[in-house]
Amino acid sequence: MKRRGRGIACMWYPIGFTASANPSAAVVKVNEDGTATLLTGTVETGQGSLTVLAQIAAQALGIATDDVHVVSADTDTTPMDTGAIASRTTYVTGNAVMLAAENAKKILFEVAAPLLGVEPAHLEAKDHKIQVKGFPQRNMHIGDVAEHARGVKGTPPIGSATFNPAVLKLDPETGQGKPFATYVYATQIAEVDVDDETGEVEVLRIVASHDCGAPINPMLVEGQVEGGISMGVGFALQEEMLFDSSGRLINPNLTNYIMPTSLDMPSVEVDIVDSYDETGPFGAKGVGEPTCVSTAAAILNAIHNAVGVRVTSLPATAEKVFAAIQAKRAQEAKLVTAG
Amino acid sequence: MEKKTVVAEKSAPAQALLESVELELLRAPALAPLSPLPLEVLVPEARQQTPAVGQRATRPDGRLHGLGQTKFIDDFYLPGMLFAKIKRAGVASARIVSIDTKEAEAMPGVVAVLTGAEIPCNSFGPSLKDQPVLADTRVFHAGDGVAAVAAVTEQIAAEAIEKIKVEYEMLTPVLDPLESLKLETPGLHAPNPNIYGHKVIKKGDIAKGFAESDHIFERTFRTQMVEHVPLEPHASVATWDANGRVTIYSTLGRITLGRSDVARTLGIPMSRVRMISTIVGGNFGGKNEITTEPVVALLSKKTGRPVKCLFTRPDEFISSTTRHPLIMDYKTGVSKEGKILARQIRLVLDGGAYCSWSETTLGKACILSAGPYNIENLYAEAFVVYTNKTMTGAMRGFGAPQVCFAYESQMDDIATALKIDPMEIRLLNAFTNGSLSPTGQTLHSVVVKETLIQAAQRFGWNGAPS
Amino acid sequence: MAKVTITVNGEARTVSVPPETTLLKLLREHLNLTGAKLGCDVGDCGACTVIVNGKSVNSCLMLASQVDGFDVLTIEGLATTDQLHPLQTAFEEKGSLQCGFCGPGVIMSAKALLDEEPDPSVERIRDALAGNLCRCTGYSKMIEAVQAVANSVNSHPSVKSA
Repeated sequence: MKRRGRGIACMWYPIGFTASANPSAAVVKVNEDGTATLLTGTVETGQGSLTVLAQIAAQALGIATDDVHVVSADTDTTPMDTGAIASRTTYVTGNAVMLAAENAKKILFEVAAPLLGVEPAHLEAKDHKIQVKGFPQRNMHIGDVAEHARGVKGTPPIGSATFNPAVLKLDPETGQGKPFATYVYATQIAEVDVDDETGEVEVLRIVASHDCGAPINPMLVEGQVEGGISMGVGFALQEEMLFDSSGRLINPNLTNYIMPTSLDMPSVEVDIVDSYDETGPFGAKGVGEPTCVSTAAAILNAIHNAVGVRVTSLPATAEKVFAAIQAKRAQEAKLVTAG
Repeated sequence: MEKKTVVAEKSAPAQALLESVELELLRAPALAPLSPLPLEVLVPEARQQTPAVGQRATRPDGRLHGLGQTKFIDDFYLPGMLFAKIKRAGVASARIVSIDTKEAEAMPGVVAVLTGAEIPCNSFGPSLKDQPVLADTRVFHAGDGVAAVAAVTEQIAAEAIEKIKVEYEMLTPVLDPLESLKLETPGLHAPNPNIYGHKVIKKGDIAKGFAESDHIFERTFRTQMVEHVPLEPHASVATWDANGRVTIYSTLGRITLGRSDVARTLGIPMSRVRMISTIVGGNFGGKNEITTEPVVALLSKKTGRPVKCLFTRPDEFISSTTRHPLIMDYKTGVSKEGKILARQIRLVLDGGAYCSWSETTLGKACILSAGPYNIENLYAEAFVVYTNKTMTGAMRGFGAPQVCFAYESQMDDIATALKIDPMEIRLLNAFTNGSLSPTGQTLHSVVVKETLIQAAQRFGWNGAPS
Repeated sequence: MAKVTITVNGEARTVSVPPETTLLKLLREHLNLTGAKLGCDVGDCGACTVIVNGKSVNSCLMLASQVDGFDVLTIEGLATTDQLHPLQTAFEEKGSLQCGFCGPGVIMSAKALLDEEPDPSVERIRDALAGNLCRCTGYSKMIEAVQAVANSVNSHPSVKSA
């Protein structure tokens, strides 16, 4: 018989390396037509980080995402970056990109200020324009300012910057210190059906409520959460590298190493909670890794809720769940007999 | 041309030679691509909006992916390119007595063979430099590479590695991390000790905390070894110029450190290494270290031709990093209301054959192991040990999914025993702004309760706070 | 060497290949059509999916000589110089692809489904994509994109998938 259960799991997860330097650098060049080129040493490995970094540069310059072309991942042409690891790109590389764009913007403001008859401090970059704060009708197109900067003033608007998260070393005896600049938080709730005659678990639904600071691109955040959950489902129920007694892997292929397919995925609902981190670029923290952290725990709690057994080792295969159900029945039978 | 002469010197049968040359010529795509390319297509609205932040902007690389236009490493072909394959040890622990490559070298179509002894600096690793590029004296796990071949086709390279004969002096592998943890186990990785990483987090007084607790819960949890399974296998292409500069196209997710690792293993200045990662077909932590890069660079240097190496799917499983299996002992003391008063944790991480990113995983697992909860009395201790299995390294979450499984399972055990709603017990213990973390850090922008409440409302959890 | 004549994306090509050459290698190495990817080479992952005579297949499991005289459609054959295929547009707009390595195979499986069944249920879409492994996305946004195309084809009968 199928038994339904639900389980909650919360988690916290840090952004960046543990109590050690993990800097990023970036270069932003504003072109003479008001578009821009961003140089970053990070690598796009699927997360959409280049799009997020383009959005950050665009935001700082008051232009659109499509106006920013990103050049990445070439040690000859792009600045140093610690790379696509530790959920650090949006926060660490993003901060470097924001600062680099602001440095380029500073040049634009210095050039535009006398032309608009104000101090640079009174200017803002918005909707492709450099304009006077509070008087948006007094403006110049950002491209005209960039062209003037390069062609008349001889100061091409190029900015570069580095960023390294603020951390403190841990005490080797007590582990006390500040290992990370910031953390994100999440809760996932799973609903499962457990067949108590076979031990088979079907994940029906996962509700995921995640903090990533202020989302730079909600669509890409959802994509990360959905993908992380699929990895979590595999970790909870299916995936395991198995070795024989001589230390050779028994299942080094996708025929025998089972990972989630489209048929294994539950319906997934993603919520991004309201959050803003003053230390992140435009309030953002990060989202890559934390998405897969609480899924298995939520599913295992749902199994417990459904059939009353606590599976203490992953993956919770049907064999393992069924063995736990049988052990529980044997225990209950004993109690009845003893009673 | 020069290399054909080299093959001929080995007096290969004329027919076989012709065949291999013919095969090689066929590798070069002779025909123009059969695909019209849309050059002017609409830019989606969200990419044109200001302010840019907060927009559901589409990805320019996403369009190329859907058109089949993204150039992954295996989609590159350079003229004259050779194909490399790496021979795997297939034994988990052994001393290498000899490696005989003569028969492989004599095969028509084989241009060069590489062994570990030829690598200028045959070690690397993000913290401990305990991993060889190709094992030359000692095998620590079955996926260790022991030799590599560059040939005119992938097929010939695959056949050639079968002809390489390695003589081993077999050693008994240690596969169980708890066995490795025991001091009497001989050093798996001498001179390094079996326990190659250790971390402690101490806060408050656990003895006092447990004494004040109304209930104490104890349980051991275990997790398994997991592979990243990026859909794109690890790959790289190397090509040298006449100034002694090498360009490596690679699936690495971290080119800054990749370049320094390559320069170090090759023994050349970093200014002579150019590393380019195009779009990488999935990483999840598994593409954070060099694998094939020094091998293709050295084979390319030996042959004067570009060399490509692509992991097979079995290579991906046995010789790339994996997720650490953990053995996690949790002891938690709570008040009768469900407030956590003390927690003691011991984590043993199966570190596999090499250190890789174990130190980071150890640190994050230990720091995060208490969960997002206010616990005044805490003692968490973590060890990572060598075993003769595939090395464990960085994988999405660095130990966090493992410890979350343990602390959240125990949270529900407590809730069940005390008859408290799982939502309520979490809200009772959760961090808030200004909470002190296990390392004594004051936390900011904390929204644990917000995520709990929002998820409960969306799910329709009975009695969800509104 | 085996001589193979196939129609690829509407154009006839004759290629001479070693007999062990798979359809995937024929496309990637001899015809420079690298959209279909090699992910496992044994038919487990679906990254090499193309359409042969109207059916989606794992091209790593077919020998080139087996498709002699057949009609092969690859991801490169979907867009025209003027426009993307509706599936390509939907996948882009929904953010359905992340690393993108599985993308060409997923889109070809989806196209084979929609050609056969213009209005599939979510279950049918899940079934049709079950042979295409993806590690990044959890499949959610792919399924949404296929649904969106199915709906638009139904509401605008003039828009036919190419």
